Amino acid sequence: MSAAAKARRHRRRLWGSLGYHGFGVLASLFFLAPFVWAGLASLRHGTESQSPPLPPWPTNGISFDAYAMLDTFGAGVWRHTFNSLLVSGGTVFLTVIVSLLAGYGFSRYRFPLKNALFVLIIATLMIPFQSILTPLFIILAKLGLNNSLLGLTLVYVTLQLPFSVFMMRNAFDAVPREIEEAARIDGARDFRLLVRVLLPLVMPGVATVAIFAFLNAWNEFLAALILLSDNDKYTLPVLMTAVRAGRLGAINWGAVQAGVMVMTIPCLLIFLALQRYYMRGLMAGAVK
Amino acid sequence: MANATGMALRQVRKSFGGHEVIHGIDLDIEAGEFVVFVGPSGCGKSTLLRMIAGLEEVTDGEIEIGGRDVTNLDPSVRGIAMVFQSYALYPHMSVRDNLGFGLKMAHSSKGDIERQVEAAARILKIEALLDRRARPALGGQRQRVAIGRAIVRKPEVFLFDEPLSNLDAELRVSMRIEIARLHRELGNTMVYVTHDQTEAMTLADKIVVLRDGRIEQVGSPREVYEDPANAFVAGFIGSPKMNFLNAVAMPDSTVTVAGARLAPATRARAVGPVTLGLRPEHLVLGPSGDDDLPASAEFTEYLGGTRFLYARLADGQSIVAEHRDGPDVVPGQMVHLRCPKERMRLFAGTGERLR
Repeated sequence: MSAAAKARRHRRRLWGSLGYHGFGVLASLFFLAPFVWAGLASLRHGTESQSPPLPPWPTNGISFDAYAMLDTFGAGVWRHTFNSLLVSGGTVFLTVIVSLLAGYGFSRYRFPLKNALFVLIIATLMIPFQSILTPLFIILAKLGLNNSLLGLTLVYVTLQLPFSVFMMRNAFDAVPREIEEAARIDGARDFRLLVRVLLPLVMPGVATVAIFAFLNAWNEFLAALILLSDNDKYTLPVLMTAVRAGRLGAINWGAVQAGVMVMTIPCLLIFLALQRYYMRGLMAGAVK
Repeated sequence: MANATGMALRQVRKSFGGHEVIHGIDLDIEAGEFVVFVGPSGCGKSTLLRMIAGLEEVTDGEIEIGGRDVTNLDPSVRGIAMVFQSYALYPHMSVRDNLGFGLKMAHSSKGDIERQVEAAARILKIEALLDRRARPALGGQRQRVAIGRAIVRKPEVFLFDEPLSNLDAELRVSMRIEIARLHRELGNTMVYVTHDQTEAMTLADKIVVLRDGRIEQVGSPREVYEDPANAFVAGFIGSPKMNFLNAVAMPDSTVTVAGARLAPATRARAVGPVTLGLRPEHLVLGPSGDDDLPASAEFTEYLGGTRFLYARLADGQSIVAEHRDGPDVVPGQMVHLRCPKERMRLFAGTGERLR
């Protein structure tokens, strides 16, 4: 091949990869910009935060006034963060346990009406949960679980289960039956079989279910607003509306931005910690 | 051998939802025997093996291992170990953990597990792999690990479910020899399922030919090849397949095929239509005479060491012959095929062998 042709091909490849990475950088800028904006804005001084939002970055040096201000709302931001973590953590824990067992059952056992039951579970995804909030409220009240974080957790778990069971059934379907049979011959039964052999193999599915359960419970607003009536028990989204509603008509934008950051960070951490499994989980069964 | 144990199946049946797929199998397996279940796909050989392993419930009948009724026991306490076609290694564990998993589940001590794993690895020459993950190893190595996992369990009976089907041709031959060596070294009873008759013929002490959930014949490789019980066994064992020709038995104990008159060593019980079985490797090409089968050559396959000739008899029946020496046959040429009369097999219309 001539040197000129080689140089031309080289140049074309350079432009190609430049375009590829350039587009990637541009796209990620679009996604990152709101977070960066909120993050920078939350670091502005108290007085500065009331001024027009441009430029978004702090001009008079960094200050944590906004975060201190956020703490004066409700029962203190720590309290509400704790509430949110409790509800989200509980939702993740219960959802993973129930969907793991249900997914295993639907994948491996033969029982009457199996497919009908599975379709029934999936079908509940079609009911917008806002429309059943009133009955839910009444049921929880009858059970003595209204205005309790446990009641809210149970509602979230229920809403999360159809998708999770579906996800876990697919995860178990992807595990070859022979591996389970080999383990049975090796003497692993029931609980040990599930924990020692199968759980590591369906970890991507578990991670996906956990991320979805966490994000949905963490960000959920309407059910929390309706089911919780005690100020102390508010989760972060409910607190945030209180902050956004302002006091005596004045909205503290600095506190709002600080609240946004406080709400974003756990989601980011969870996603980064589990994203390796999460990607695999979503793709499991896509190519078989 | 100390740990060799016999096995017996008594009227073993299996139904899936009212549909019976295994119809009352009776089989005795001697201690230390290498038994191969062979048959076309769907004949129930894998199901039968899985019933022995305890992975499939027995609908009716009894399975004994070493004189102990294991029909309703858990797979882990039957004294068996199984090697799967897909290896079925635990992908999240190292090779060492894969081998030791069974012992760990049985609560053996750490030192014990270590010793037995090392011993099994030595037998299979996979010591170097022990601390690698099970996943990336090559097919042959993976199957070695799977066999190692079986050895570590120190089973009374080894079960193999088409263990070589996922390997390429070359590896299959070397692993076959490896399994034969293993059987000689360990001396255990082994039950091996395959659809590959070469594996069956080379490995088995005893071949069990199955069809549609029934045993067609049990015997040594020599017995099933030389003395098949019926047309199915005769056709299934041997490659290329035995030629089955429509013939008519004559009163003078000869048979006529496509106008030619042949004299098999066995005589038909009655005058009338019979099936004449001739193995391709027993047919000899020769000059014309009065005891041969004239056929016109259609095409030939050259395999280096041997050649297969596909020809058609005067009445249109096709016939395959193997020939090694002599000049090449060209399509269209007339050939004269002969078979030693003691090699000719006669079958009734039902497939039953006429002796």
